[in-house]
Amino acid sequence: MDIVQVVISGILLGGVYTLFATGLNLIFGVMKIINLGHGELMMLGAYITFFLSTSAGVNPLVSIPVAAIAMAVLGWILQFALVERVVNQPAINSLLLTFGLSTLMMGVALNLWTSNFRSVIYEPLTGSWTILTISFSRSRLVAFFIAILVTGGMWLFLKRSTFGKSIRATSQHPQVAQLCGIDVRQVRFATFALGSAMAAVSGSLIAMIFTVSPEMGRMFIGKGFAIIVLGGLGSFAGAFLGALILGVSETLTAFFTNTQIAEGVAYLILLLVLVVRPSGLFGKAEE
Amino acid sequence: MATRTPPVTDQAPNDTNVDAYTPPGWEKYIGWAYLVGLIISVIFLLRLPIAADAYTVTLTLTVLLVITLSTSWNWLSGFGGYTSFAHAGFFGIGSYIGALLLHYEKMHWIPVMIVAGIGCGIIGFLVGLPTLRLRGPYFAIAMLAFTELCRVIALAWDDVTLGGNGVFLPILRLQLPEENMSFWEEAQMTFHNNQNYYAMLVLATIACIWSYVLGTSRWGLKLLAIRDDEVAAQAMGIKTTYVKVTTFAGSAVFPGIAGAIYARHVGYIDPVTVFAIIWSIRAITTSIFGGRGTIIGPILGAVVLTLVSEKVWEQDPNLYQIVYGGIIILVVLFMPGGLMALLQQRNIFPRSRRI
Amino acid sequence: MSASKVNRRELMRRAAILGVSVPAMSALLAAEAGAQATPAGTVAAAPTGDPIRIGASVSTTGTNGRTGLYQQEAYLLWEAQKNASGGLLGRPVEMVLYDDQSDPTTGARLYERLITEDQVDLVMGPYASGVTQAVAQITERYGYPLLVAGASANSIWESGFRAIFGVYSVAGDYFKDIITTIAPAQDYKTAAVIYEDAVFPMSTGQGAVTTLQDQGIEVVLEESYPQKATDVSSVLTKIRDLDPDMLIGGSYLPDSVLIVRQAKELGLNPRLYAFSVGAAQPDFVETLGADANYVLGPSMWEPEIETEGNADFMAAYQQMWDRDPDYHSATGYAGCQILERAVTNVGELDLEALAEALSSLTMNTILPGEYRVDETGKQIGHIPLTVQWQDGQKIIVAPEDQQTGELNLPTPPWDERS
Repeated sequence: MDIVQVVISGILLGGVYTLFATGLNLIFGVMKIINLGHGELMMLGAYITFFLSTSAGVNPLVSIPVAAIAMAVLGWILQFALVERVVNQPAINSLLLTFGLSTLMMGVALNLWTSNFRSVIYEPLTGSWTILTISFSRSRLVAFFIAILVTGGMWLFLKRSTFGKSIRATSQHPQVAQLCGIDVRQVRFATFALGSAMAAVSGSLIAMIFTVSPEMGRMFIGKGFAIIVLGGLGSFAGAFLGALILGVSETLTAFFTNTQIAEGVAYLILLLVLVVRPSGLFGKAEE
Repeated sequence: MATRTPPVTDQAPNDTNVDAYTPPGWEKYIGWAYLVGLIISVIFLLRLPIAADAYTVTLTLTVLLVITLSTSWNWLSGFGGYTSFAHAGFFGIGSYIGALLLHYEKMHWIPVMIVAGIGCGIIGFLVGLPTLRLRGPYFAIAMLAFTELCRVIALAWDDVTLGGNGVFLPILRLQLPEENMSFWEEAQMTFHNNQNYYAMLVLATIACIWSYVLGTSRWGLKLLAIRDDEVAAQAMGIKTTYVKVTTFAGSAVFPGIAGAIYARHVGYIDPVTVFAIIWSIRAITTSIFGGRGTIIGPILGAVVLTLVSEKVWEQDPNLYQIVYGGIIILVVLFMPGGLMALLQQRNIFPRSRRI
Repeated sequence: MSASKVNRRELMRRAAILGVSVPAMSALLAAEAGAQATPAGTVAAAPTGDPIRIGASVSTTGTNGRTGLYQQEAYLLWEAQKNASGGLLGRPVEMVLYDDQSDPTTGARLYERLITEDQVDLVMGPYASGVTQAVAQITERYGYPLLVAGASANSIWESGFRAIFGVYSVAGDYFKDIITTIAPAQDYKTAAVIYEDAVFPMSTGQGAVTTLQDQGIEVVLEESYPQKATDVSSVLTKIRDLDPDMLIGGSYLPDSVLIVRQAKELGLNPRLYAFSVGAAQPDFVETLGADANYVLGPSMWEPEIETEGNADFMAAYQQMWDRDPDYHSATGYAGCQILERAVTNVGELDLEALAEALSSLTMNTILPGEYRVDETGKQIGHIPLTVQWQDGQKIIVAPEDQQTGELNLPTPPWDERS
């Protein structure tokens, strides 16, 4: 039964990673930019939820859309003012720029809110539901479903809506998309805003599960890379599956060896996949 | 995979707009100018511990450390165009090899430094072989993962690395000056009290000389060819894999030794500090700020940026992160060619690949 | 950066956290100035001459920023009190303070800077074991004795330093009372020990394992987890299967909270919970609410204990900082008391004589027990307390002569709690 419990914990953990990774992947898909500042966008989302729930008494679940919208606006501004300038430049420029952004946002957060660990207490979501001796952590289960809902919604949006199709077209081939009359610039703005919003939602959910601190982004960014590389860079469904696989491999490794070694799983997967099959498990072979 | 865009051309040394360009007259003496500059700096720096206080010496040691990191980073990533985030990994591995050897074996420190360097070179070769087939962002992510993996291994492998407890190195106690010391005794004392500073000075000097030798050699040309168009370079008969992997392994030696010296200097290391991604970022930012793909650029960048960030940090350690993040953004946006490109545009420095 | 700048800065920061307006902040600054006139109502001769400059770097930001701030406040309180009551050796005292952001390398650089650039006369210890390990190398190199007022990892005193002196018990002894007194009384036979892979938590965890083995209690699981862990469900699942009587965590506050939360989620029900950091901190109960009940933990000091000068310390601290001190404030303050006594005994600022004095000194501080170190500089006179949360109240349950309430064990299973 333990093994089932561990797998369940892993799947729920994967759910927490999903949103974060799909946002990262969306941005990479469209712009071929690895956003090293994604973790800090998540962190800001977490702080929005923290402050709304503790200072204004807003239900943390209600704060999620607020965080999403706020970060979408910030994401749009960042893209407009900074990131847009390094699109189509060598990878090092965007890597450095987003790293600079990450350091800057973390520094600002440290100065404004100090490095204290904080957490959002939402009483109904503490503890767990037990089914047949398997515990389902309430906060994680709820986060898991919200993550699936948002990711699924995003998937439908990309699949069905006209604008979603423009995003996909741009991510497949920007030049051709432009020739077809798609405003590629506008698509990039929207993508970064959407990606930031997804980071914010994941931050809000993480705030209810873990503790909130300015450094929290750095803890997740490496795992985010592992997931999207595993699932295939730019592949939307791949990121979702990659997140679940990473979550389960982490908890299983921790169960059979120890938590320390489990910490290395993400990076090992990342290196192995890159070397053996750079297109990821679910991506199409390129080049 | 994104189609590789050609590198920013305003800084490429082989950008020859022949009509509008007349090189400064001293261009043909670059090699001599470099040598004389180096000798003067080294003589000045050799005397520094006698003339200045301990704080200045430590600050200079940091500058020399960053020069070593950025210069060695530049070989593969500046000349060769492969952005590597592995320097932090090699820096950490070097620190750990050095610290553990000193901690357990109590070997003399100079051979320990060499072992640390060779160890990193071998690991660099083994890591580079499979990963240097990756391009652009893929290689960058792989090297980020490599660094993180090293950190996790250092933490989890308790039996050898002592895990999160960190490693203590033998305590270096200072010799105090005595009455009526002869010149020779005083020189010995200065050397004893500043061993790590002198070690770093030697290392940085070797890195600078090697940078010139590499930059002006055929090997350097091959790297530039790989940066500009790898497929074409291969078609021209350059064994690209061989060139890339060897350069990568060679450039891993320097952060390795630097890490070992650093460990000895601070006396206590732990995985989180020495495997911090910031060591890579420092190498990258200073190289770009100075001018990547040039010989002097990374040195210039290391001196200016380290002194500036040190001043900011002194003023307010809390603001440091914000300012550092801001500097990175500004450099990327407004001076991707670095200081060297600015100086070359104003015709102060010749547009030669020998600079 | 001058001491007053840090001081003011921290006040602003704190005011911002509390949501205090600007006028209220000026009031705080005034209170700080006012505090200088408070100590015991004695009117002492004003200190004269060049100030004695005491350097320290304390983590007021970074991972340990929250607890480090308490220590810094204690240093500043002592400075203010000394200057209002005749100073040290008749000279005013000036604390030169920096923030190392909880980073060991930064801490070491700052102490080197304090000693070589700022040329301070004396130094006080930083906060947290990792930073202290790095800093000890520097102070030792320059021959400055270091009073470790904010760290306790055993390894600090196992590295052959000459002049590093502990102010409170080493981390390896944190669970001694729980294991040697409380566990036998409850007839507990098994324990699981998990700890974070960092200097201090490892010391507490490994110390607990040794003590458990000496006591003949079976350690059914010993495992470390990475720093800043976000998920410990797997190791807790393993422990749930083993069903030990005790779960002992070598952990900082965030992981203590994480462990309790996930233990509840997984229905893990040991009869006793103990964490090295957490149980003594008010934040623990603020974060966990009723789930914090029954949790045990070591504390180096508590407000209500009766030690020499403790009541005065409480009053002065509350007046100056407008909040209650934490045990990290008390250890910081005790460190200053010890330094003061040693300097007074020596009568001058001779570093070697001072190191000598610190190694042979025995005195009472506001901490329980006394200050006494062995030949390595390790603290052996201090008596740590054990506390337990009961209905949102922190109760001292051991040692017997300091008890403020009865021990409440065993911890009921999660589903039987109201």
